[in-house]
Amino acid sequence: MEIRLGAYLRELTVQQKELSYNDLAPKVERDQQGVELPYRPGRISLRPIDAYRLIRPYVTVRLQEQLKAVIPLAAYLVLFQYLILRQSVQDASIVAGGLAAVVLGLMLFLEGLKVGLIPFGQMLGSTLPSKAHLSVVLVVAFLLGIGVTLAEPAIGALKAAGAIVDPARAPYLYTLLNDWAETLVLMVSAGVGLAVVIGSLRFLHGWSLKPLIYASLLPMIGLSLLIASNSQLAPALGLAWDTGAVTTGPVTVPLVLALGIGIVGAAGQGGSSLSGFGVVTLASLFPIIAVELLILYVGYTVTPEQILASVVAAQTAAETTWYTRTPWREIVLGLRAILPLILFLLIVLVVVLRERVNNAGIVAYGIGLCILGMIVLNLGLTYGLTKLGTQSGGLVPATFQDIADIGNSPLFSFFGGVCISIAFAFLLGFGATLAEPALNALGMIVENLTNGALRKSMLMYAVSFGVGCAIALGVCKILFDIPIVWFLVAGYAIAVILTSVSTEEFVNIAWDSAGVTTGPVTVPLVLALGLGFGDAVSAIEGFGILAMASVCPIIAVLVTGQYANWVARRRSDFEYSRPDTQEAT
Amino acid sequence: MAKREITVLTDASLITCIVQRGVADTVVRAASEGGAQGATICFARGTGVRERLGILGLAVSVEKEIVNIIVANDQLDHIFEKIYLAAKLDTPGMGLLYVTPLEKMATYIPPDIEERFAP
Repeated sequence: MEIRLGAYLRELTVQQKELSYNDLAPKVERDQQGVELPYRPGRISLRPIDAYRLIRPYVTVRLQEQLKAVIPLAAYLVLFQYLILRQSVQDASIVAGGLAAVVLGLMLFLEGLKVGLIPFGQMLGSTLPSKAHLSVVLVVAFLLGIGVTLAEPAIGALKAAGAIVDPARAPYLYTLLNDWAETLVLMVSAGVGLAVVIGSLRFLHGWSLKPLIYASLLPMIGLSLLIASNSQLAPALGLAWDTGAVTTGPVTVPLVLALGIGIVGAAGQGGSSLSGFGVVTLASLFPIIAVELLILYVGYTVTPEQILASVVAAQTAAETTWYTRTPWREIVLGLRAILPLILFLLIVLVVVLRERVNNAGIVAYGIGLCILGMIVLNLGLTYGLTKLGTQSGGLVPATFQDIADIGNSPLFSFFGGVCISIAFAFLLGFGATLAEPALNALGMIVENLTNGALRKSMLMYAVSFGVGCAIALGVCKILFDIPIVWFLVAGYAIAVILTSVSTEEFVNIAWDSAGVTTGPVTVPLVLALGLGFGDAVSAIEGFGILAMASVCPIIAVLVTGQYANWVARRRSDFEYSRPDTQEAT
Repeated sequence: MAKREITVLTDASLITCIVQRGVADTVVRAASEGGAQGATICFARGTGVRERLGILGLAVSVEKEIVNIIVANDQLDHIFEKIYLAAKLDTPGMGLLYVTPLEKMATYIPPDIEERFAP
């Protein structure tokens, strides 16, 4: 008798128990008249073990994403302290707890964003343009831009940086970050709001990005030169340029894109593959102009003497109320960041659109996660990333100069120490950017767009190299006290020249990559590092590193774009001139 | 011109596995280890157990991946079992797996392999 192998294996290996689906499926029920009643499935109740097995992969995947972003950076800083500087981390347990809070907070915040806020934005984007007049849409877009900026986690880091500035040496910087902090954030968010409006109009009319870049760079550079020419105002310039990198974070980009794509869809314009790009660029350029204008305004209305007087007054009356102390301060900040955005979205949805909120329970859960995540993240930033960044930044100069905390400093000769510091900065930027998940996504888009002429890994290395150089340059700027305006003018001049010779696609990608590279972990860490470093070498201010980290990737991507073009052209020339070899292979 | 001949394969079954977005690679790896030659993956959206789990349903992604794998009948149960275990289908909300018998299929068969089975 012949036995088939399959039947044999089945007998040997598989233990399958058969159960008819007929026995499980619900029977049709009818009422007295014989009309069929629709079947309503009941809730499924899970055993605790099943609930655990359901939730475990859900949590671990999201936790791993954040761990991948935070752990390498933190490990790098700690190892550098131990191995090169031979210093142990102060308050190591607090810093570790803070870092854990950052991971947890980011996880909760991003999940809440995905579940609660993004569907809101998409709904707004798809229904608003069809139900309301264009002017109403633009007003909503403007207000949305303001709301998302306030909710951006990195904005808090900017505010926290104000406490370190010395009022006697950089009075205007001090007053901007302390007395004018609220106005500063409002100006930044107004800039983003305006960028969203222009970006939406650009979506509708299909404007090219190039003239918009030229038109916004001209006043930016002009105002920068004006500010740089005033020695009192000049230290505040780095702050203005850093805000551009801060604004394009995990809240702004998806919500603004959702709205923009909705507008394009409702207008019935055939979306090109790039319709999503460009608005991020504007959202990082316009706030710079807004802050520059604010600096000039403050410069003309307030004198340094007034600022110093107010500092003295503030110090004598320094009684802290309960909500200015940690952890209450972080909780209040977290609530204040998220609630206006949610209220605004709700009002637009209910009053303007007269829509009901679908899945109210799930949206409420998402919003709850967002707020909780923001609070935990704020706590983590204060106790973890900012603390570690300031500490490392303050200790790195020990490689080349005398630092009080370290006994045998300087550890190396001046030249060697400076080299080590710059290498440290370069590696930090390079590694942090390479780990950024958004860069991976960008790389994939570019590879598709260029039909493989520009490999994903090549773009990722190019951008990371750009950021690495940027942070190294930023450290040089602080170290040798070079006015930042020269770096920026030179950098943007190169970027503009490359922009004028590049194709529209690459211009869009390149300028957007600046926003992509500065994520929610990198920004606070680099800010704190710069300030700590600046403090240790007693520079006037430690801003400007992020600004450099915005312009260098642009140049890096444009250069690789040119290279990809060149490769593609050479390849086609080759095939054209030698058709018979093509045939043979 | 000689009449063209197509070699048609019989004794094949289609395994279809529907899992959450991102899990398809695990399924394909398990199937390949079990001897499957290839897989086709589609993106899809699905409902079902998610809506009935209440707040726990949030842990189940609406976005799914559909993995289609054609296997020989002799491999079928072995691969079926491997996929079931690899995709953790014994957990609520993880997806489902089914087999469709195929009448016949055709694809490229390397000439040297075809010759071995020539009558």
